[in-house]
Amino acid sequence: MTPASEAEALVTFWGTRGSIATPGRITEKYGGNTPCVTVASQDTHLILDAGTGIRNLGIELAEKAHETGKALSVHLFLSHTHWDHIQGLPFFQPAYLKDTTLTIYGSPRKGHFLASVLKGFMDLEYFPVGMSSFSADIRIQEIAKGPLQVGAFAVDWQEQVYHPGGSVRYRLRANGTTIIYATDVELNHIFHAGRSSQEHKALAQDYLDFISHADLLIADGQYTAHEYERKAGWGHSSIELIVDVAYQAQVKQLAIFHHDPQHSDTFLDELWMRNRSKYHSVYKNMDIFWAREGLTLAV
Amino acid sequence: MTKNSEKTIRRDKAHKAFGHATTTELSRKAFIGELPIKQRACLEIIGFGGKRKVIELGQGQLSIGRVPECEIQLSPTKVSRIHARVLFRNEEYHLEDLGSTNGTYVNGIKIVKCVLRNNDQIDIGGVKILFSEEKALEKT
Repeated sequence: MTPASEAEALVTFWGTRGSIATPGRITEKYGGNTPCVTVASQDTHLILDAGTGIRNLGIELAEKAHETGKALSVHLFLSHTHWDHIQGLPFFQPAYLKDTTLTIYGSPRKGHFLASVLKGFMDLEYFPVGMSSFSADIRIQEIAKGPLQVGAFAVDWQEQVYHPGGSVRYRLRANGTTIIYATDVELNHIFHAGRSSQEHKALAQDYLDFISHADLLIADGQYTAHEYERKAGWGHSSIELIVDVAYQAQVKQLAIFHHDPQHSDTFLDELWMRNRSKYHSVYKNMDIFWAREGLTLAV
Repeated sequence: MTKNSEKTIRRDKAHKAFGHATTTELSRKAFIGELPIKQRACLEIIGFGGKRKVIELGQGQLSIGRVPECEIQLSPTKVSRIHARVLFRNEEYHLEDLGSTNGTYVNGIKIVKCVLRNNDQIDIGGVKILFSEEKALEKT
């Protein structure tokens, strides 16, 4: 028996926490590792971001490679290169296996090229092992304009302007299923009722078009609306806003992601309990949940 | 001055300051040896026929389904023949759906796999199951 049909994509959350890893008893349910998500369909496995969650993924992939004797071909898409999205990369075991091919994709709009950013953060000043210690065949690729075909997936992307330093959102399509990974963006800045410039309208429309009818949207929901008032300009969205926007775009399933380091399991559970009847009654036909480390869904 | 005489002087000074006191020397190894901690976990079936049933989980795996071959047998027709399994891996309990017709849910989310945490509510074919775990002294 197989856990999911071949037509379905399997989405696994390896890290869901934003900003900084938060290990400990109070975060063990939703997880303390920073962003890392895998999306698999048939034999294609895509990794979204290399936060600290990628370490556990690497252990599992390395074990699998050892058991099967098959070389790994891994595709890693980075939303951006802030610490919480790359910090797990030096601990990703397959990078140290000589038969592995690891292709890392990221934004071409960086002031520094992606390759030099990644090499820089593994400089001896910051980490004892340099990137040259990776035994795998590492290919660093700035993403091109058009959609990219990686195995079963067609991947396209857009730049997200309202995050300090910028970030990229990805859309993955396979077998009629659409999965969007759109973290680290301050949507409140774009969708704010008081902002009616042509630029804001165009950005809002771009976002709505990009996520339209997605089967799963993994979205930045770091703050509550109340918290956002004190965190405007920090590059993250409020849960209330993304729920509204996703519903407007007829998203089928919404994973609230990039949990704030201060949001304990109890806080998130209580937030869910306070809002669940509203989610079920107002946002019909859209499943909303808090992304949780160690969870695999079929989409 | 020998080490023993140093200890005696220190003890006499302590007695003068605090009166008679005794100190028991503990070795860390012996201390840990007296406290065998065991990770205990159980599934509590709470929504089926009004009966509550508690199943203690070991460190292997248990299958859940309608057929008698399953270690946890649930008879409702919405439960698949072999519906799901719980396994202990890397010191955590994992729940996996095994291609069931009606799905396996954890806290209302339809899952394929999920690492279980204390007080997770599982739904298998309409049967409600509560997962709980603790670290406790092993019964001797």
